[in-house]
Amino acid sequence: MTTVTPSPLLEARGLTKRYGDTLALDTLDLSVGAGEVYCLLGANGAGKSTTINCFLDFVRPDAGSAMIGGTVAAQDPIGTKRRLAYIPETVMLYSNLSALENLEYFATLATGGRPVRAELAQHLRTAGLTDTQLDQRVGGFSKGMRQKVGIAIALAKGADVLLLDEPTSGLDPKASNEFHRLLGLMRDRGAAVLMATHDLFRAKESGTRIGIMKAGRKVAELRADEIGHADLEQLYLTHMHD
Amino acid sequence: MLRTIASKEYRELLRDGRFRWAGGIVAGLLLVAGLAGFIAWREQAAQRDAAQATMQATWFNQPPKNPHSAAHYGLWAFKPQMPLAFVDRGVDPYAGTASWLEAHRMNEFRFRPAMDATAAQRFGEWTAAGVLQQLIPLLIILLGFSAFAGERERGTLRQLASLGVPTATLLRGKALGVTAALAVLCVPAAVIGAALVTMSSGASGLLRLGALSTVYLAYFGVILTVVLVVSAQARSARAALVTLLALWAANGLLVPRVAADVAQAAFPTPTAREFQAQVQRALATGIDGHSPRGARADALRDSVLRTNGVSSVDSLPFNYDGFAMQRGEEHANEVYAHYFAQLWDRFGQQDRAQLVGTVVAPVIAVRFLSMGIAGTDFGQHRAFAEQAEAYRQEFNRVMNHEIRDQARADESFSYQADSTLWRSIPAFTYEAPSLGHALATHTVSLMALGAWLVLAALLVRRERRIEVA
Repeated sequence: MTTVTPSPLLEARGLTKRYGDTLALDTLDLSVGAGEVYCLLGANGAGKSTTINCFLDFVRPDAGSAMIGGTVAAQDPIGTKRRLAYIPETVMLYSNLSALENLEYFATLATGGRPVRAELAQHLRTAGLTDTQLDQRVGGFSKGMRQKVGIAIALAKGADVLLLDEPTSGLDPKASNEFHRLLGLMRDRGAAVLMATHDLFRAKESGTRIGIMKAGRKVAELRADEIGHADLEQLYLTHMHD
Repeated sequence: MLRTIASKEYRELLRDGRFRWAGGIVAGLLLVAGLAGFIAWREQAAQRDAAQATMQATWFNQPPKNPHSAAHYGLWAFKPQMPLAFVDRGVDPYAGTASWLEAHRMNEFRFRPAMDATAAQRFGEWTAAGVLQQLIPLLIILLGFSAFAGERERGTLRQLASLGVPTATLLRGKALGVTAALAVLCVPAAVIGAALVTMSSGASGLLRLGALSTVYLAYFGVILTVVLVVSAQARSARAALVTLLALWAANGLLVPRVAADVAQAAFPTPTAREFQAQVQRALATGIDGHSPRGARADALRDSVLRTNGVSSVDSLPFNYDGFAMQRGEEHANEVYAHYFAQLWDRFGQQDRAQLVGTVVAPVIAVRFLSMGIAGTDFGQHRAFAEQAEAYRQEFNRVMNHEIRDQARADESFSYQADSTLWRSIPAFTYEAPSLGHALATHTVSLMALGAWLVLAALLVRRERRIEVA
């Protein structure tokens, strides 16, 4: 009897990217399936953001491919982006528009339809905004509140792939905790999540698998439930000092 | 999707204080320029009508006098105010709007406001066309320079690009949003313009206004596309703004001036003094320079005597002086026609040469089209001058033939005609070229503007990938 393995929602095959003399990505292979949270750890310049940018087709790889749902992102950037949601370090929004107006705008563009305002408001509430914040212009929003709007965009889009680039960097512990609660919500809905982060603790808590990157290469990969916090930290530091 | 992007751009622009200020100022200037132009246009039209009526009455009510004296007394031809001259005064302030028609001479045009202008007017006359050609593009730059570059700097472009919106859709949506914001300023101005034109000129004016609006909309479309494409390519909003301001200065100020100077150098025209000297020389010695006036007169007299079989002009069956004056008039007409055609052809060559500049500055094509549709371009000035000259020649012919046919040989300059003769000269009426004819004379400008539109469309289609960081 053979087991059919479902094709991963996110897959990098031999992904290579060079900026001048610098090798940003060196034949990277990774895959993330539905309901998985894959955390990419690594120092600045390790290639975490470049990996995410390749999946977003913001960066074209020199070799290899970044695929979403089996489709190469560079070959069908519009189609692959329709399936994903992206949350950067700071979700940048239109400061002249309210939270609801921002969500309405991004959700309409993402889905191509006309989303129901009440549903959008509910997504914002689910993400943790209060009713009074929905109609406030986001110009005065804190970073944490902006990240919540980013989560609401992902919820409204119904994305099955999430690309997160250090989304909790700079958030206070409460906001960070809240963010990871929402991440768990997305994972439980079957989303494949690829998150670049420096936060070892959160990677261990929220991640399904953890990849450690150094100088564009994946130097280690392990299941989050197979390693303790202390061991992960030790492993990470060992690789960083090599 | 397009509507969503456009609607958001529009909403953001309206909430932007910079747009409200800049837009308010430009709309105010457009309104003031349009209304002031219209008031001046109406006053000038009234003055022209009054002068025309006074001149006509004075001509009709001349006391009995010799027809040749009447020919020297002369008539005025006043150029009618074209319906859209209040939007674009074109060459009128420089070329003049009235011509004194008299015996022997084809006079240059008079009443050229540019001659009385202050030094400040060297920077250009403040007209609605000036606002449309210079300030609206500047406003479009202010509205659109950060459309992409600003979003890139703020980081929203990454968010937007991650959604899977095709770049061309984004570009078109932003263009629509800026257009809608511009419409808030321009539509009321167009409605007021249409009301003024309807009041003053009726349907024919509206047709011209429609054509003029189409040309300016196409021009704004080209400018907007260039603004958005530069914004999409620029590394920062500041770089986009600096680049676009440089392009604006090149398009509106530098290239048209250089093109005019190059055209003048390539096809030089004589100074007024040189021109008059050429004409006087040709009048004296013939166009070929070998037919002195005296010899021509002798040859004419001998020929007439021989043809009629008489030995003295007193024996001719008509007044020889009237006959000879008409022949002299016809010779002068040939000389003036030759030199003015040469001069005007040169102006035409200069205009065509300037159009080369439209390769980099679409405003040059727009200027020619704007003047052409407004009826104030050089071609229509020439049409008026030629009709006025034809009228001058005809009324001189009538005066000379009156002497030839009615005066005895010894009363060439004492014979007197009365108002019956004056009234036989119909009032001068100018048949302005139709809109179609005016546009046909600017085919190259139309094609140039069309080419810019095609280029704009290609730029939008080609803009497939925008750098997000």
